[in-house]
Amino acid sequence: MNPLDDKMRWLEKAGDVDAKAPQEMHGLLVEFDSPETLLDACRKVRDAGYTKWDALTPFPVHGIDEAMGIRMTILPWLALGAGLTGLAIAFGLQIFTNGIDYPFLVSGKPLISVPAQIPVAFELTVLFAAFTTFFGMLVLNFLPEVFHPLFRAKRFPRMTADRFGIYIEAKDPLFNRQQAELLFTRLGATGVEPVLSRTGRAPMPVMIHGVGLTLTLLALIPPALIVKSRYSKSDKPRIHIIQDMDFQERYKTQSAHPLLPRGAASMEPVAGTIARGELNEDDHMYRGMAGDEFVRGFPMALTESVLNRGQRQFAIYCAPCHGLTGVGDGPIARRADRLAEGTWVAPTSFHTELVLEQAEGQIFHTITNGVRTMKPYAAQIEVADRWAIVAYVRALQRSQRASIDDVPPDIRAQLAQ
Amino acid sequence: MQHASTAPLKVEQVTLSGSTMGLAPKMMLLGLVTLGAGLLLDLVAGPKGLYHFAHAYLLGYFFCLTIALGALIFVCLQRLTKAGWSVVIRRLAELIASTMPALAILAIPVLVFMHQLYPWTHAELVENDAILLGKQAYLNMPFFIGRVAVYFAVWIWIARKMLTLSLRQDESGDVELTRKAERLSAPAVILFALTVTFAGFDLLMSLDPHWFSTIYGVYVFAGSMVGFLSVAILGVKFLQSRGVLRDVVTVEHFHDLGKLLFGFTMFWGYIAFSQFMLIWYANIPEETIWFEHRMSHGWGWVSLILLFGHFVIPFGGLLSRHVKRDARGLVFWAAWQLVMHLVDIYWLIMPALNLAHGKVGAPGYAPALHAGFPLHVLDVLAVVGFGALFVGLVMRSMRGVNLVPLKDPRLAEARGFHNF
Repeated sequence: MNPLDDKMRWLEKAGDVDAKAPQEMHGLLVEFDSPETLLDACRKVRDAGYTKWDALTPFPVHGIDEAMGIRMTILPWLALGAGLTGLAIAFGLQIFTNGIDYPFLVSGKPLISVPAQIPVAFELTVLFAAFTTFFGMLVLNFLPEVFHPLFRAKRFPRMTADRFGIYIEAKDPLFNRQQAELLFTRLGATGVEPVLSRTGRAPMPVMIHGVGLTLTLLALIPPALIVKSRYSKSDKPRIHIIQDMDFQERYKTQSAHPLLPRGAASMEPVAGTIARGELNEDDHMYRGMAGDEFVRGFPMALTESVLNRGQRQFAIYCAPCHGLTGVGDGPIARRADRLAEGTWVAPTSFHTELVLEQAEGQIFHTITNGVRTMKPYAAQIEVADRWAIVAYVRALQRSQRASIDDVPPDIRAQLAQ
Repeated sequence: MQHASTAPLKVEQVTLSGSTMGLAPKMMLLGLVTLGAGLLLDLVAGPKGLYHFAHAYLLGYFFCLTIALGALIFVCLQRLTKAGWSVVIRRLAELIASTMPALAILAIPVLVFMHQLYPWTHAELVENDAILLGKQAYLNMPFFIGRVAVYFAVWIWIARKMLTLSLRQDESGDVELTRKAERLSAPAVILFALTVTFAGFDLLMSLDPHWFSTIYGVYVFAGSMVGFLSVAILGVKFLQSRGVLRDVVTVEHFHDLGKLLFGFTMFWGYIAFSQFMLIWYANIPEETIWFEHRMSHGWGWVSLILLFGHFVIPFGGLLSRHVKRDARGLVFWAAWQLVMHLVDIYWLIMPALNLAHGKVGAPGYAPALHAGFPLHVLDVLAVVGFGALFVGLVMRSMRGVNLVPLKDPRLAEARGFHNF
């Protein structure tokens, strides 16, 4: 007896319940003793038009794909598609999270910075392609398969050692046992063996229910623990698993420091340090000054959009006190008058000689730094918006002192009506 | 294919015919004349011309050197992995690597032109420069020349050993010779890694001695493999057009060469990007200066050509199995990548010429950023000259030699090799 037949014993030990059930033909196992006769037989089976069959060899046999008529797998296309998907997801995720949904500046790079995204894109491309190739290979091969009726065949174990085989399933439309046996005997088969399997589905072993129940109960424990800790209180401090990370040997921003000047962990910036983008060299633009004098004129071109912007900002920040026309009758001023508060200084009307004669630079300065009880607005109103407000104040002043010369000639006729 | 590969080899399948061999001296003569014409041309142009000639010479020289180095490591790797498929190609690689003694002689002009190439050879520059002073213990002329001599000693030794072991087997068929070569290949690979890394540092990176990048040696190696694999594909195709290696190197072997070319195209991109990204992200001026040279005043276009031409486009082109198995497709991409390898070497060396020009008569080592883009007829002469000379040298090494190791124990395996 062949020592390899020992391999069959595991099946007997496991109690092959299927063997006692009613049997039907599952397929025909044909044995060959050399790869050459196998290849030859494969070509014949291929040309005969069989579809549900396979070759069994103990090692890879060159040229068997062609002999069996196996077409090129679609796996490379799956891998390519998965790789491109990984690439798209990596870029999409990084662009959306860091560039759009929650813009967060890292190392002064642009929010959507392709070089910084390439490592993640590379890894995800490889990950998706590799997983798809591996699991796709399993799926395309119908793996994993726990049991196959071939395991019962007496000749099957030797096909993992020194014999070669062809297995034709009974489901094949061309399957005919007598014809097949005749064909293979002519092709030099050294043995033919019918393989049986039970009819219908095998019942589930009773043990499976127990195992399944136990695993389900065990799997419920972690979520149960989480739910418990979510809905119960504890006086104990939290567990610090990573001590080095929770308690770092470093000075925090506002803590004391024994060595540094001022005794503080945070040092002052070097004298004269200017934050990036805050150099503000243009005196006209940022201070409304030229030397010691307030500047007349604007640092930017006056367009309709500037005046519209000025009107909106004026209505938000200035009109509550100064009133929409700038005479000083805003709702706050009127209420203060009604309450007759002693400390109240009425807002200045823009139509007095005082304001009319002020340089644009001085009005800008007033908005920026405040005057008397008016507070400085530098923190609230952008530089460009302050100048837009100045422009609108000038427009308001002119509107109250307009002559017919200010009206464009082509509209004068309409006014006359 | 399988039927043809089992037939016994005929003489004309494994040796180059006399008419083809006649090309070798002509190619070498053409190369030397072209290089000589280049030298004359720049002598007329005055002292600045000599600077350009030195850099153009290094360009042509290093291009050929990388191909020989790629061949050398290819042989060692096939021996190390006991590869079967590559036996039919290995002799060609052994012969390309055997040009190493000639390349050692051709390195002498590089040493002669050291002053024109390497700023750190100028004593008056070094003494005013804290960085160069700090590097003086390594970057000084005696040590430099000594190191270059050691590199070539190692390469010549490995190349000769690998070739003679293989040729002796052609006579005796002794399997022990294969084992010997395999035992040698392990230390050879380690020596190769060390020497190529430092040769890259010395010959190319020290052109801009303020700058440093530890991955530079790997970058040179990656480019070398792309260069060699392209040459191997084109070389075998050329030999087959002359009747040699027909029915020996089949579509299966070309497929494998194509896979390696594809893999090293990817590897080159990976290494090039690794070098770029770390420097780009850290954004330290002393490191970014090197890329600054290569991203402004015209060089930005060369960088983009490399990014797309050396990596993105050939990556897509070589991805498909059908392209690698198609003779015309593979030849096209091999030629493409060989040109790109040349552009890569050009991109490594030539921006340094701007530094050299900025340095002529300057009191200190002051990199001139605005020197522009120096493409010149000298570059073309140097590349054509060295290309012809190198092809001539390789063909000369084929005289009286079988182009297939006839008694290699894995020859049958190689000839029956089949991709799935």
